[in-house]
Amino acid sequence: MKAKIAVRGLRHEYVNPFTRDRVVALDGVDLEVADGEVLTVVGPSGCGKSTLLGILAGLIPATRGEVLLDGRPVAGPGPDRGVVFQEFAILPWRTVERNIAHGLEIRGVPRAERAAVVRRFVDLVGLAGFEKKYPHELSGGMRQRVAVARTLAADPEVMLMDEPFAAVDAQTRITLQEELNAIAQATRKTILFVTHNVEEAVFLGDRCCVLSRRPGRVKTLVEVPIPRERRTWTLFTSDPSFDATKERVLRLVREEVGER
Amino acid sequence: MTRLETAATWAVLLAALLGAWSVAAATLPVPDYVLPSPAAVVASLGDLVVKGILPTYVAESLRRIVTAGLVALVVGVPAGLLLGTSRRVADFAYPILNFFQSVSGIAWLPLMLVWFGMGERTIVVAVNYTVLFPVIFNALLGVRSVPRIYVNALRTLGASRLRIVTDVMLPGALPSIATGLRLGLAYGWRALIAAEMLVGAHGLGFMIFSAQAFHLTARIMLGMAVIGALWLVLDYFVLRPIEQATITRWGLVQR
Repeated sequence: MKAKIAVRGLRHEYVNPFTRDRVVALDGVDLEVADGEVLTVVGPSGCGKSTLLGILAGLIPATRGEVLLDGRPVAGPGPDRGVVFQEFAILPWRTVERNIAHGLEIRGVPRAERAAVVRRFVDLVGLAGFEKKYPHELSGGMRQRVAVARTLAADPEVMLMDEPFAAVDAQTRITLQEELNAIAQATRKTILFVTHNVEEAVFLGDRCCVLSRRPGRVKTLVEVPIPRERRTWTLFTSDPSFDATKERVLRLVREEVGER
Repeated sequence: MTRLETAATWAVLLAALLGAWSVAAATLPVPDYVLPSPAAVVASLGDLVVKGILPTYVAESLRRIVTAGLVALVVGVPAGLLLGTSRRVADFAYPILNFFQSVSGIAWLPLMLVWFGMGERTIVVAVNYTVLFPVIFNALLGVRSVPRIYVNALRTLGASRLRIVTDVMLPGALPSIATGLRLGLAYGWRALIAAEMLVGAHGLGFMIFSAQAFHLTARIMLGMAVIGALWLVLDYFVLRPIEQATITRWGLVQR
């Protein structure tokens, strides 16, 4: 498999505005994400996993090292890398359909074509009937669906997801995770998914990347040997390798928390 | 309270006030020009309408304030957006705008009389100035208050700078712009009346100030009532619907 994203010797430093200390968030991160792969990233809190995603998105500058997309260095944000944020980042003054169509609108896609694409993704994320609603009229889970649909509709080559389901209730989270699995399978998009939830990381990932404590670097990459067709929670958790994989990742993360 | 109860309470209070005023005007041992009766004030309304003075002056004052509001929107909103886009520029502009916002058009009047003379020009400059600064200031504050994540989300969708201004900054700043316009017009309305009094080129301020010379106290009171009532009408039928159509609908204001 060809690497879609390659991260080489990545380092990120910043100055804490309150203590004025120099903090090294990431140091020596080397990572490759294959085309069409879902790579989940876990690690102890403060290990820089969100920073890593921000650098891949082009929203945070790297201090050293490089990020390559299809072999070309990344400079700044771009529509080839769609981001789903942890907080609700859809615009409150746009209806569901206008939020979903936003990426297409920016690209100058004609209205009729936009409507067709919106139709498709509204159905895909289960928002039919809510097209004309404003975000404040939706539940947290539905707002994140809009955010996922907005990113998907813009048809990026890579999707970067920063704990997108952390702020929704447990029941909705399960549904969203299963939906994302189905979407990943259907669209074959390259996805990098950051989370602090080990179960989620194992459930969603083809591979699961465990970061070390700060300064973060890649500690271990764990393969999840369960085919994507079996990724519904009932099937998945009954798979004998689920528990073993989960325990392994959990132990790796705990080692990093424990050493502190 | 329901709307009906609120309206009824207002009606009762107003009636009680008018009653007490009528009694006071009839019984207190002061001349009519010191305390005219409510009936005399109403009579002066009829008189002023018949002579065409009130409609002309109301139209004059409204024309001035509405023009100032439109100028503030056309000039002030883009200026505020522009100043607000850069953090450094915003930090620099903030105290300056805050300063000029507090030195109201009324305080400028003496200087403006020297510069622009006793005429329409002074009134126009004073009112436009007074409305403009709160609009710029609040547009800037509005832009600064737009969550960074909206900007980042749009950048990852490939949005240009202009796109970010039109799709994120402007709508995100609208609640603040609406506040700025409301404040600016409220300040401007006061400055307008004051300027009309001093400069005396028609308008409601001129009407009540000149009435004083002839002891037309009922006319003064009527003018004051009209000034207050016109503001209520402007606020209720123009400014609030603007807010309702945008901000409330987007869930940006919790009522």
